[in-house]
Amino acid sequence: MTRDEIKDIILEIIEDIDEDADFDDLDADQPLRDQLDLDSMDFLDIVMELRKRYKLQIPEEDYPELATLTSCVNYLEPKLKDV
Amino acid sequence: MADYQLIIIGGGLSGLAAGIRSARFGQKTLIIEGHSLPGGLNSYYYRQGYLLETGLHAMTNFAAQGSKHAPLNRLFRQLKFSRKKFITHEQLGSEVIFPQASLQFSNDLHLLCEEIARHFPASIDRFRAMAQEIDAYNPFAEVPWQSARNFLRDRLAEPLLEDMLLLPLMVYGNAEEHDMDLGQFAIMFRALFLEGFFRPEGTIKDLIDMLLEQYAQFGGELRFRAPVAAIINKDSKVQGVRLQNGEEITADAVLSTVGIPGTAQLSGWPLDIDQYIGRMTFMETISMIPEPHLPPEREGRTILFYSLNDELRYHQSTQAIDPSWGVICFPNNFQGIYKEKDAPTQIRVTNAANYELWQQAAADKGQYRRLKEKCGQQSTTAVSQILGDYTQGAVFHDSFTPMTIERFTEKCGGAVYGSPIKIKSGRTPWSNLFIAGTDQGYLGIVGSMLSGVTIVNQHLLG
Repeated sequence: MTRDEIKDIILEIIEDIDEDADFDDLDADQPLRDQLDLDSMDFLDIVMELRKRYKLQIPEEDYPELATLTSCVNYLEPKLKDV
Repeated sequence: MADYQLIIIGGGLSGLAAGIRSARFGQKTLIIEGHSLPGGLNSYYYRQGYLLETGLHAMTNFAAQGSKHAPLNRLFRQLKFSRKKFITHEQLGSEVIFPQASLQFSNDLHLLCEEIARHFPASIDRFRAMAQEIDAYNPFAEVPWQSARNFLRDRLAEPLLEDMLLLPLMVYGNAEEHDMDLGQFAIMFRALFLEGFFRPEGTIKDLIDMLLEQYAQFGGELRFRAPVAAIINKDSKVQGVRLQNGEEITADAVLSTVGIPGTAQLSGWPLDIDQYIGRMTFMETISMIPEPHLPPEREGRTILFYSLNDELRYHQSTQAIDPSWGVICFPNNFQGIYKEKDAPTQIRVTNAANYELWQQAAADKGQYRRLKEKCGQQSTTAVSQILGDYTQGAVFHDSFTPMTIERFTEKCGGAVYGSPIKIKSGRTPWSNLFIAGTDQGYLGIVGSMLSGVTIVNQHLLG
């Protein structure tokens, strides 16, 4: 999967979790949580959805790696390279 | 391999919400319900052609769409429901009535503040400061029990106002007598005064059907009329459940929503069970009245919380019921709900009751029926002091007692708010057996569903 594809997947998952999500002014290098007003329960859903779709196990200590859109892509790129 | 990854005992709101969370991410999940209808305490039944709700007066925790951190909207995201498509009807307005004063409140805190300023001018600034403090308080932290009464006494220094605020908060969720835990108080204060009352479109059946549909959509399985006889366990783990018909079903984990006493009975959990059986139980009478003539000052109210005594008596009734205080609910009085022409008005009255006395009477059908009639009349007489002769021309009355509650909801002692001691972590002595629902400590319909969601998130998505 390319970096752009991974980015789209993340946004699609967030959109699926939160019907009010608005990506218009999203800064890929700023925390998703603050910009989209997500809470830890929503974050868990992103992790669970990645697991469901790609059998990816993301340990809790790695959650900070998912803070921004860019860091998500960086973290997931090697894990999804063969998908 | 076990038959299921997760078995959930109980198809009430916490069990259904837990089931949706578990099934949503592909876990093989089974909900087992002892009765033929889902919903638990918040279910429904049919009488004389009417669908009657069992538990619901109003839902608490109202939040407008878009307010993302509100419990209602968080719950909807967690269950993958569209909040946009969920139609809500807010309350018209409610009132706490004591002999010395009355306080109206609505889903806008300003009204309550105005009322307090009018009746308790010396306390209004203190009340505002307290409301802010509660808004910032974390009620979910696992801290030792603290007295809500001491907190109120310290912050307000006005015993009557303290009692008047506590009446609705206690009667809609407090499993303890006399006092309540500060965390539970904060949850209820937010749910009722900061967020407020509403009804979903339709009836509780529509809400339950929505949950069932979502659960099925995610591949969850559900069995009705399958009472559980035991939670099978060996050493530090549980293996599954045995049904009353002898069938055994295995699972990697079990989530019980039948309360701490019920879970202890099924699993052999060595507990002093009596400590965990709440003493607050109630009798509720539903009256259908074609044209109730209410005093003008009581027209258009959603819920009235009344006390005919100068002080709040939130403890188990010494008689079969205590009609001297209670709740009067008008389920038709919500914004945008229009009653069909000629349809009677429903009025529901709830009074504290005494489980032991009802249990004794239940041994003899005739005696039980007579007690039900007598208590219904006592309740009506008391409520007439608030509403006038409101039952004139009633089409019918129906009541349920602590025995009805216990039979249909598995709540020991008919204690609708469960155990006075909660287990916030949801943990039990077995590493893969958890509890959710009332005895985990969340309250109300939104709360019970959030309880199911939270326990699955914390322990069971592994």
